[in-house]
Amino acid sequence: MLLIKLAFRNIFRQRRRSLLTALSLTGGYVLSVFSISMQDGSYANAIAFFTEDHSGHIQIHKDDYLDRAKIHKTIDNPNDVAAILDKHPSIATYTTRVFAPALSYSDNGNTPVQVIGVDVLREKQTSRLYQKITGGNYFADRPNDDGYFSAMIGAGVANSLDVGLGDELILISQGADGSIANDIFIISAVIGENNSPDKNTVFLPLSGAQSFLTMYGKVHQFSILLTDIADARDVASELQTSIPGLSVAPWQIVENSFYKTMQADREGNLVMLIIIGIIVFIGVLNTVLMSVLERSREFGVLKAMGSRPSKIVSMITLEVTMLSAMSIVLGLALAIPITYWFSTAGIELPEPVDVGGIKMSHMTGLLTPIVFIVPMIGIFFAAIVVSIFPGLRAANVTPTAAMRSH
Amino acid sequence: MTIVIKTKNLCRYFGDNEETMVKAADQVNIEIEKGEFTAIIGPSGSGKTTVLHLMGGLDNPTSGEVELSGKNIAKMSGGELCDLRRDHIGFIFQSYNLIPVLSAEENIEYIMLLQGVKASERKKRVKEMLELVGLSGLEDRRPGKLSGGQQQRVAIARAMASRPDIILADEPTANLDSKTGIALLDVMKELNEKHDMTFVFSTHDEKIMSRASRLIHMRDGKVELDERK
Ligand SMILES: Nc1ncnc2c1ncn2[C@@H]1O[C@H](COP(=O)(O)OP(=O)(O)OP(=O)(O)O)[C@@H](O)[C@H]1O
Ligand SMILES: [Mg+2]
Repeated sequence: MLLIKLAFRNIFRQRRRSLLTALSLTGGYVLSVFSISMQDGSYANAIAFFTEDHSGHIQIHKDDYLDRAKIHKTIDNPNDVAAILDKHPSIATYTTRVFAPALSYSDNGNTPVQVIGVDVLREKQTSRLYQKITGGNYFADRPNDDGYFSAMIGAGVANSLDVGLGDELILISQGADGSIANDIFIISAVIGENNSPDKNTVFLPLSGAQSFLTMYGKVHQFSILLTDIADARDVASELQTSIPGLSVAPWQIVENSFYKTMQADREGNLVMLIIIGIIVFIGVLNTVLMSVLERSREFGVLKAMGSRPSKIVSMITLEVTMLSAMSIVLGLALAIPITYWFSTAGIELPEPVDVGGIKMSHMTGLLTPIVFIVPMIGIFFAAIVVSIFPGLRAANVTPTAAMRSH
Repeated sequence: MTIVIKTKNLCRYFGDNEETMVKAADQVNIEIEKGEFTAIIGPSGSGKTTVLHLMGGLDNPTSGEVELSGKNIAKMSGGELCDLRRDHIGFIFQSYNLIPVLSAEENIEYIMLLQGVKASERKKRVKEMLELVGLSGLEDRRPGKLSGGQQQRVAIARAMASRPDIILADEPTANLDSKTGIALLDVMKELNEKHDMTFVFSTHDEKIMSRASRLIHMRDGKVELDERK
């Protein structure tokens, strides 16, 4: 108790100096919390954007389909996989898809497209396809009375072929068995805008796509949404053991290039935080050293009275740690409301920024304990490091010098 | 008679150049017995402070030995020496050297905290010490709000509180006017007589040295005369 009182009073001895030191610590803390919150927040948004838009949190494919998509690398027993997924408590929903490149024709021209066959009902719950319709109606999973399946086409396809709702679309591709596939589809909807990533995509109902590509009952992909994205890696590895014949990949692997960019960016941010830290701590080191030098006589007396040097070092450490603790309390009082505001309201950017390849125009922060705790640990750790050198200075004062002066 | 401190051919030289070297202590042989009230006197630069520091293990001798209660302090490690000072030696300084941010009572308590004395015992002893030095009622004042004489009383209480074998005081009254100085010495004398506390102090002041029971005269680092009254 007396030691804490002593440390406390020593801090308040040089009010102005301690206040300035505390404010620089507080400033460094708030800045770090804010930057971590905004960075992690914009990444969380970007991740939520693409996982919920199309990729899902986990995907399942045959072999290396993810890296080298080939039409024959199919999941042949989707029902068995579905049974496993249905039982897993962390899985919110999932859907199946088939993919193939194709050439599309109309009376007015032709253009290459990416065909994606989707489970009409499940796709609606798993991705944003339904929300991206800009004209027409979501397709049914059955052919019409004339035996034609519907298709939903990207705005780019509609433009190139100069076709619209209700028009016929002819697709030519290669079937999974190597045969030539060709079929007529009726356009039921247009997806996105001319500059959307889906602009050259043609969406087909799964059964239509399967018969078009002669791959009845088979799919290329399972896309899974979890109740909590944070479980992606764990659930993926659990699923991998239950489905050894297929390749299960969490979003970090599915969106590998995004993930790498994000990690690199985080490291860059860490470097910046460390630089902020160093600047703040040079200031703190300076004040602590100053106060130690001013008090060297006192330390000499303490040593003459029998304080061991380690006691003196820990006394300085206690002072710096307490000052840091007070700064962090103040810092939290500022950082919590600021972070709360930025995590709920966020900021509208005048120009969209590129977050790992995704354009974001609205940035919101992340409000999690980690955001506050990481800089806190950083500050305490640095406080202890910073106090060691002045502490040793104090501990090495020779008591004779203290007794001789005056 | 118990011998508290004994110096054997104690030497402390400053500087390594033969010509400019100062022999601050030169073959000093002193035995301090328990209960003595000894003054080291001599002109400025005669080596009084040097000898007190060597006795208290604050400084290392060039040659010779210091024995404290029969133990040679030269053979102790740094940590042992710290503990020895903490548990066996009390210091009083010319310029009081109280910790400015602690109150009178906390200054006295601090050294007992270092010793690991438990809280209730600390409180008891603080009260007792303040009474002994005549400062009851001023326990909550910080050093800045105490006069020089009062501060030095706190310093005496602090030195006494750790229950040392000996108190070493380097010119404890030099910063005080002579009336206050004499009053302070009377406090020390009383502690010496009533509590059998051993004191060694240095002084320039004739009135102060007249109260000592033993006078060690120093000149040029040597003991010139050692007289018991
Ligand atoms: N650290 C040092 N370096 C060099 N010389 C020193 C040092 N400390 C003391 N001396 C010298 O040693 C001699 C004895 O000094 P000391 O302080 O012991 O004398 P003193 O009797 O206490 O003097 P005073 O009455 O002025 O306090 C002096 O000549 C002094 O200059
Ligand atoms: Mg002196």
